[in-house]
Amino acid sequence: MIPENSEELHVLAGEYVLGVLDADDADEVAAALATNAELRRAVAFWEDHLHPLSSLAAAAEPPPATWQAIEARIRATAPKPVAQSFWNSLALWRWSTAGFAAAAAALALWIAVTPAPGPSFVAVLHPPQQDQASWVATAGRSGLVVRAVTAAAPPGDRAFELWAIAPGATRPRSLGVIPPGGELKLSPLPPDLRDGATLAISVEPLGGSPTQQPTGPVVFVGSVKAV
Amino acid sequence: MDSQTAALSSVAALIEAVGRGSQAALKRLYELESKRLYGIALRIVRRPEIATDVLQETFLQIWQHAAAFSTERGAGAAWLTGIVRFRALDAVRKAGREVPSDDPALGDEALEPDVIEKIGASAEAEALRRCLKLLDQEQQRCILLAFVDGLSHSEVAERIKAPLGSVKSWIRRGLLSLRRCLEP
Repeated sequence: MIPENSEELHVLAGEYVLGVLDADDADEVAAALATNAELRRAVAFWEDHLHPLSSLAAAAEPPPATWQAIEARIRATAPKPVAQSFWNSLALWRWSTAGFAAAAAALALWIAVTPAPGPSFVAVLHPPQQDQASWVATAGRSGLVVRAVTAAAPPGDRAFELWAIAPGATRPRSLGVIPPGGELKLSPLPPDLRDGATLAISVEPLGGSPTQQPTGPVVFVGSVKAV
Repeated sequence: MDSQTAALSSVAALIEAVGRGSQAALKRLYELESKRLYGIALRIVRRPEIATDVLQETFLQIWQHAAAFSTERGAGAAWLTGIVRFRALDAVRKAGREVPSDDPALGDEALEPDVIEKIGASAEAEALRRCLKLLDQEQQRCILLAFVDGLSHSEVAERIKAPLGSVKSWIRRGLLSLRRCLEP
C-alpha cells in the first residue's frame, strides 16, 4: 500500500533507496513508480541527497578485463540504445534482467508440453523486481496465448490488462483485459509482437484502462524473444 | 565552476552522449566512474567476482537506459550510484551475503563515530553532514549501515545487536528528521 500522505510517502521512498525494505514491499514500490510521479520525485530526492554517503565506500580497481567483457556484452545485445520514454521513465528496467533463469525453466516446461510446430515467440512475465515466472506468453502464426503459471488475481474490483510495446516504440498498446481464468487468446497475432518487444500487465478498472494507456501499477513485465 | 562541479557536469554530459548512442562516451564514463562504482558494489556484495558482475550489469544498464537520464534527473553521479546500488542489492538478495571478513581490501572497515566527517566537501555533502548531526546516534548509525553496507532492517538489527522494531523505528524517525532538515 503506497501512502498518500506526503510524509509517509517520503519515509517509504527513503527506505526503498536505503534498501532496507523486504522484497515484497520493495516490489510494490518499484511497480508503483510506473504511475506515481510523487513517489518518483521522492525516490529521486533521496538518491540525490544521500548520494554523498556513497563516498564512504573506498574506490577500488575492478579486474582488468571488465571493460572488455562489457564491450562484448554490448555487441551481443542491443545494437544501440533506443529512447523509450514510457518504459524508461518507469524505472522498471532496473529490475528487467531478473527472471532469466526462471524464464529458461518455464520455457523448457512449456516447450515440453507444446506440440510441434512450436511457437515462434515466447515471453515470461515476472513481477518487476522478482525473478518469479508468473505468466508465459507464446505467439506464432495462429496468434498469441498468455497464461498464468502461478495463481495471480487482481484486487476485487480490478482487472489485469495486457500491454505490448514494439521494439523502439514509445507507448504501450493494449492487447486487452485478461479474463478472470488467467488466460488470454488473441488471433491473429498482434503486429507489435515480435522479437525484442515488451509485454506488461497492469492493474486497471474492470473493463480495462479508460485512457488507452496504463493507469494502474505495472505488476508483471517480460521481454519477447524469438525461439 | 569549481573542479568538482566540472567533474559532475561532465558525468552528466557523458551520460547524455551515451543516451545518443556513443560507445566512446560509455568508455570514458567507465574510465571516470568504474573505480568508484566498483567500490560501492564491493562494499555491499563483499565478493570481487560478484562485484565484477554487478559492475558489468551496471554499465549495460547505463548503455541501454542513458536516454532516460536527462529527462528526469539532474545529478549524473547520483544516478549512476542508484543503478549500482540497486544491482548490488539485487545480487545480495539472490546470492546471499558473505559474512564480513577482516580484510580491509574487501571494504569491511567498521563505521567509525566520526565517519560523517569523511563524506566529502561538496555543498550536498555539507548539507547532509549538517543534517545527519541532528540525528540520534542510533538513527545515524542505522542509516549509514543501510546505505553504505546495503544492510536490510534485520541485518542492521543483527549487526548492532538491537531489536528489529527499534531499528525500523530509528530508521523511520531518522528519515523524517533528515527530510525536514534537507528540504529547501
